[in-house]
Amino acid sequence: MSMERLLAKHIFEEWLYHEAKCLDEIEFDRWFNLMHPDLRYEMPVRVNKEGMERPDYATDMFAFQDDINTLKMRVERLKTEYAWAEMPPSRTRRFVSNVRVAEFEDHQRAVVNSYLLIYRSRSTDIEHDLISGERRDEFKYLDGDWKLSKRFFLVDQTTLNTRNLAIFV
Amino acid sequence: MIKTDVRLDDMTRGEIVRYLENTVEPEEGIIPAYIMSDPAVYDLEHEKVFLKTWLFLGHESEIPNNGDFVTRDLAGYSVIVSRNQDGVIRAFYNMCTHRGMKLCRADKGNKARFTCPYHGFTFKNSGELIGVPMQKDIYGGKLDFEAMGLHQVTIETYKGLIFGTFNDTPQDFSEFLGDFKWYLDIAVGRTDMEVVGPPQKFIINSQWKIGADNFVSDSYHTMVTHGSIAKLGMVPNATYSKKGYQVHTENGHGCNIGMPNPDFAFPEELIPEYKAHLSPQQFDMMADLKNMIGTIFPNLSFLVSHTEVKGKLISNTTVRLWRPIAVDKMEVITWFLVEKNASEDWKHRSRESYILTFSPSGIFEQDDTEVFTDITGAASGHVPFAKNYTYNYTMGKHRVPVKDFLGPGIVYDDKFTEANSRSYYRYWLDLMKA
Ligand SMILES: [Fe+2]
Repeated sequence: MSMERLLAKHIFEEWLYHEAKCLDEIEFDRWFNLMHPDLRYEMPVRVNKEGMERPDYATDMFAFQDDINTLKMRVERLKTEYAWAEMPPSRTRRFVSNVRVAEFEDHQRAVVNSYLLIYRSRSTDIEHDLISGERRDEFKYLDGDWKLSKRFFLVDQTTLNTRNLAIFV
Repeated sequence: MIKTDVRLDDMTRGEIVRYLENTVEPEEGIIPAYIMSDPAVYDLEHEKVFLKTWLFLGHESEIPNNGDFVTRDLAGYSVIVSRNQDGVIRAFYNMCTHRGMKLCRADKGNKARFTCPYHGFTFKNSGELIGVPMQKDIYGGKLDFEAMGLHQVTIETYKGLIFGTFNDTPQDFSEFLGDFKWYLDIAVGRTDMEVVGPPQKFIINSQWKIGADNFVSDSYHTMVTHGSIAKLGMVPNATYSKKGYQVHTENGHGCNIGMPNPDFAFPEELIPEYKAHLSPQQFDMMADLKNMIGTIFPNLSFLVSHTEVKGKLISNTTVRLWRPIAVDKMEVITWFLVEKNASEDWKHRSRESYILTFSPSGIFEQDDTEVFTDITGAASGHVPFAKNYTYNYTMGKHRVPVKDFLGPGIVYDDKFTEANSRSYYRYWLDLMKA
């Protein structure tokens, strides 16, 4: 791996860890500031296909399909006193691993794939939810920072075993 | 005094029914918490409700071409719903008639025939057994192919909605829907509608009736549970959900109709289509419709919702199944529907508004799931039963139905009433007694 690639991997690992921390610590404004104005934030519905037929996700239905404006609405909503779904907030822990930089142009753009495991504990529940999947992210460099311009989250369940997606993936 | 000696799981079916009759008083607005949590009630419900009545399976547009199929759940059992080579939709118990292997394990696909992964028995998508490996040799040509077709499941359709039942002598389907068709026409049959994408599925630790009940009558909760939506400016104000009508017809079906609406909630270029599909009275209602939320007994709900997203008004139409998995757990399955002939822009924005509001990540949806979970938790265990804790469903009991409404049924003006829930639980109780 070239020095540049090694550095890039480090940059985006740190970026993803920082993002995870913002989300896990309910710092939604700080998290939102990591987004690029061109953002496309998508989580397709995973499906059971016959045999090895691919892709095994829907290209026309999504659990999230947001741009910067609708994502802003979600963040604003979580700050009103009526956002019951996350009041009090879930305790979440986002584990990011298997980070691979697929494309990289320094100070321009990058494509980064990673795995994500979210542990979610709500209220007094003794049982937790786990959400597992792969992120396929794209970044653009803007005013000295890498901003997320596309997130595609491929979840590993066809029936989501969590009460809602009031949390971000 | 706490009745620790009385337990439903010690009772015979007949005794449970009598206990229900004595404690569930829909007309009085008294609904005991234990019907949301007792395993004996849940088991009886499976038999008396889910194996008796019509249940939703899917939409015809999900299998538009010959050979298309979906696998769906009917009362807890997997069925294959397939459009055969003759264009006819049929449904089959998803089990090979040889040795019981699940025949098809994909959600969806296109196949003229299904081959069992166990011994290779092959069935046409119209159910007939057509192939058995080496059958001449191993069965001596004596295998009765005709007797070994797939077990067919009774289905009926209305305005694209496919319903099925395992009941050999079900209520006439048209009678089952009855006058409620008038409202369903507007919700899902106002013109040619199509399902986009696969349904979204997620699990809530909630009793299934809480969802069905919420959609049949509960416009009141919108003010508080969905208070954040008004705060965001997606709807005018927190009491917007009060104006309109609540309607129920026979068999427990009911809906809430938000009107008037200064804006037309649907694609205006399709007005000629709507007029062709609906009666003038139905079109008048649709033209003034702000939202429509209802339940077809027992567990299919639908929703037409008109909100402002990114400064532009848009409506979306969905149907959803509250599928019981256990007494305190359900799978929620939601389908997004849109006018087949709407513009691409409309279809795109309508889907976006569904995802934003009523998908698993939907900002309406998620607050409901929180409530459903906690109601279920509080209803569970022996104490709510033994102490006979009950819910209060008396809202609007003092009111009289309006006359001269555009559509049929018992109609109240103003959506803040629990009349529909009283009717829903009455029908539920009638089925449990039957
Ligand atoms: Fe709600």
